Amino acid sequence: MRRVALRGLLARKTRLALTAMAVALGVMLIAGTYVFTDTINSSFDRIFSVSLAKVDVVITPDDALSGDDGSSTVPLPASLLAKIRQVAGVQTAAGSIADMNGTILGKDGEAVSQGAPMFIASQDIQTFASTQVAEGRFPRTAGEVTLDKGTADREGFALGDRVSVQGVAPRERYRLVGTTTIAGVSSLGGAAFATLTLPEAQRVTGKEGEFDAINVAVASSTSPQQVVAAIRRVSGRGTIVRTGSQQAQSQSDDIRGGLSFLSTALLAFGGIALFVGAFIIFNTFSITVAQRAREFALLRTLGASRRQVLGTVLGEGLTLGVLGSAVGLGLGILVASALRALFKSFGIDLPSSGTVILTRTVVVALVVGTLVTVVSSLAPALRATRVPPVAALREGVAMPETRSSRFAFPLALLLATAGIALMLVGLFVASGSTGALSFTGGGAAVTFVGVALLSPRLVSPIASVVGAPLQRMFGLTGRLARENAVRQPGRTATTAAALMVGVALVCFAAIFAAGANKTIADAVDNGLRGQVILQNQAGFGAFTSRAGEAVKTVDGVQTVSALRGARTRVRGISGKQGVTGVDPATLERVYALEIKQGDRDALRGLGPGEILVSDTYLTDHGLKVGGTLVLATPRSGPLRARIAGTFKDKSQLLGSLVVANTVLKARFGAQQDQLTFVGLRGGREDAGVKRSIDALLKRDYPQAQALTASEFKQDQRDQINQLLGLIYALLALTVIVALFGIVNTLVLSITERTRELGMLRAIGISRRQVKRMIRLEAVITALIGGVLGLVLGVALSVLVTRALDDFSLAFPVGTLIAVLIASGLAGVLAAILPARRAARLDVLEALAYE
Amino acid sequence: MIVSATDVTRQYGAGEAAVHALRGVSVGFPAGQFTAIMGPSGSGKSTLMHILAGLDRPTHGSVTVDGTEIVGLDDSDLTQLRRDKLGFIFQSFNLLPVLTAQENILLPMSIAGRDPDAAWIDTLVAKVGLGDRLDHRPAELSGGQQQRVAVARALASRPAVVFADEPTGNLDTKTSADLLGLLRQSVDEFGQTIVMVTHDPESASIADRLLVLRDGVLAEDSAGLAAPVTAE
Repeated sequence: MRRVALRGLLARKTRLALTAMAVALGVMLIAGTYVFTDTINSSFDRIFSVSLAKVDVVITPDDALSGDDGSSTVPLPASLLAKIRQVAGVQTAAGSIADMNGTILGKDGEAVSQGAPMFIASQDIQTFASTQVAEGRFPRTAGEVTLDKGTADREGFALGDRVSVQGVAPRERYRLVGTTTIAGVSSLGGAAFATLTLPEAQRVTGKEGEFDAINVAVASSTSPQQVVAAIRRVSGRGTIVRTGSQQAQSQSDDIRGGLSFLSTALLAFGGIALFVGAFIIFNTFSITVAQRAREFALLRTLGASRRQVLGTVLGEGLTLGVLGSAVGLGLGILVASALRALFKSFGIDLPSSGTVILTRTVVVALVVGTLVTVVSSLAPALRATRVPPVAALREGVAMPETRSSRFAFPLALLLATAGIALMLVGLFVASGSTGALSFTGGGAAVTFVGVALLSPRLVSPIASVVGAPLQRMFGLTGRLARENAVRQPGRTATTAAALMVGVALVCFAAIFAAGANKTIADAVDNGLRGQVILQNQAGFGAFTSRAGEAVKTVDGVQTVSALRGARTRVRGISGKQGVTGVDPATLERVYALEIKQGDRDALRGLGPGEILVSDTYLTDHGLKVGGTLVLATPRSGPLRARIAGTFKDKSQLLGSLVVANTVLKARFGAQQDQLTFVGLRGGREDAGVKRSIDALLKRDYPQAQALTASEFKQDQRDQINQLLGLIYALLALTVIVALFGIVNTLVLSITERTRELGMLRAIGISRRQVKRMIRLEAVITALIGGVLGLVLGVALSVLVTRALDDFSLAFPVGTLIAVLIASGLAGVLAAILPARRAARLDVLEALAYE
Repeated sequence: MIVSATDVTRQYGAGEAAVHALRGVSVGFPAGQFTAIMGPSGSGKSTLMHILAGLDRPTHGSVTVDGTEIVGLDDSDLTQLRRDKLGFIFQSFNLLPVLTAQENILLPMSIAGRDPDAAWIDTLVAKVGLGDRLDHRPAELSGGQQQRVAVARALASRPAVVFADEPTGNLDTKTSADLLGLLRQSVDEFGQTIVMVTHDPESASIADRLLVLRDGVLAEDSAGLAAPVTAE
């Protein structure tokens, strides 16, 4: 019986290849993600362990509240270094700076990195030497700098060139005296390092008398662990003391944590592609089982048991699954390199020292791919066992009407309803982002399956609608294409459903992005009273507050009001969250913040012991105005703040918690601006003043950029659209899988209709007409998927955005129409191979085909 | 002669394994005649018909249909020839299951994008006697009815010649007789030329002329039972 399964597969090589691709593409992304991230992680592991090899103990500020950009960390005081030097067993101790809030400028005056961080670092003392000089030497005077070799090469800097660096202080020019490598690597993931002398690094980063880390070498008579314990006794609150290897591990973990979002996202898209692949496998097996009913009946007549028939089909599924997964694994290894190249093109040059393929990668890829295939072939396999032996003797056997098909409609309704219910739970009930996401995602998947099962009933009406114009345009071929598409509604429905998933997600993303754009635009239009906004030139991240102070001196500028940010933990509420700092005295002049509860002057009079919370935060957590919130701070103990009022902020720029900037500086160490509103004299946009601001920033604070309201909206739109582009690219994989499904179904259907095609050719239909007929059938199938996906995507986005506060829904009609047209074109693409095959059929052979 | 073959040979394969399906057949078919081609399996009767209909190419020889030499025509010319000049009736009916009987009958005109001759179609429909079943799909028709639709389809475009390949092969005796009667009438009343391949002597008996092929050569060319000469 095993041979029957294998022969069955080998006899149909095209189908085998097409179906295997349905599995392979999903597995490819999963395996590729693992290989990609494992390779990066292992490279960073090596870099950190090598660079910290000579460091026995490291003291760093507590980063428990820290954000990714190092905000909410308070540097270590120089006095701590003196104390540590006194600790028994400490042989050498030195403080260092590694600050991520600076900007390094390339020859073109633009920042050298838009994605990867830029570090202003101090030169290590010889003992620790984490970086090595590649060319030249380390800086000796305040006017000298070295760059990491990767950045210097990328930007075309040569020794002796002038390099501009801007930290907290205005832009400064340094002479490039050397280039450096870390652990032999010229670039740390595209991060740029400008190394200055320690005093200069402290001055530029605004950390005079402070350090970002203190490195210690211990005497040979003691161990790092003993010294760690001894230092902990003197280092005090808000510091972390680790051995060098623990520190390396911690840095690696940080990188892993940073990458985990990316890998989760990529894995999710791989999962979606596999989910779509499952539709295709199910469909392919359903069709082939039906076509081979005679064969199964014959086997049964010859004495094969039902179990053996089941085994034959499942055996095919298993073989196909293993094969597809193996191909996917192989492709995944290639994709990992492609992903790396993609990130490099975005300026994120991730290190890669040899491709890392863990056993886990191989196991997960093979098991997931095979499991999906076998499970998807189970239902068709069970149908195969129900073919009665007598069918072998009958002419034109049809598959027996299954019990399940009678329940299909109610089951489909039930599934669709359950899916929506799950999503509602995820959106409105579940707490915690993981739970909410799983409920929503799982609910969406169940809804997709439900709608897919419902869709056989929808195929005919949709085909009539989309087919009517085709029939009018193309006459007979259009007519036949439509009829052929609805001939086996279940088959067409499943094929279309595979495409539906991709289209629905594309529409969802498009609508969501349009909504986000509109929300921001509305908020800016309604909220912004100032005329200019300052932000980091990268579009996100903090920038020196001195930029805003300098802008205030520009003639024509009346008000400058900064938003700052820090991270905290609120007692009794789980998770870290942002806390925003505002300037209570000036904010209202440049930004309309609607106070909902509490004193009207709650904002203007916001005192050091007070906090404002957003309206939704208050209700979500059952708080009351006048109550007290306890916020964790990095080093100075808990901050108790009275809730002075609530606000409503459509833009979400202010988050949930708002305190005064003075509080943020004193208790969280936050000195940098996140966003600064500038009000001009006369309250009107003024191109001249804007030009003066631009010139000032360009000269002294290139880290910041000034935007008018419309530029700010455009900038936000650009960022959202960039993300949207990435999502489209990943969803394209899902659509490609679905295209394979259309190809597969068409090939199988054409095989079934060989005789018909022969007759049509005999009575005078031309090859061109045959091709067009197949093409139009594919277009109709694809459009059914497109229409279903569009409707579902709109429904999903309406549902999801209902769960978001103050989210303006907007429908990008142009994009949605384009998606529909694109799905029709996808059908044309999918039809190329089947149409060619059908047109090439030999008339006589086709007529004789059984 | 509406169709004629001159010294047609057809060889499949080469060398030792070569099969000589036709070894030099010359035959002409005058307009308005009903010819039956008989012969045992492997005699070449089907090959001859396929070559006459432009579905297969002879290894040597020439075939003309309605004055056109068809050997050497490319696929699109042959397709057009089949569409405009020929009609087909198959053993297994070969109707399109997605179209109604009426649509199946009009199929050749739809393919060509031509308007059907309404009067002629009415005559045909009346002749094949489908009555109220015209809007039914093939699956809802009996075998005999399906083959009647196929006959109407073959005649609908008034082809120069209709080729019928074992048209009664899938029908019972009674239905077979009805169908053969229908073919006979189309020759007698409309002057249709028909070439029918069959291995059933009963079917062949309705033809004007009987050709017998054996081992790829024309073994017999006689007036059929229905021909006026043999009626004496």
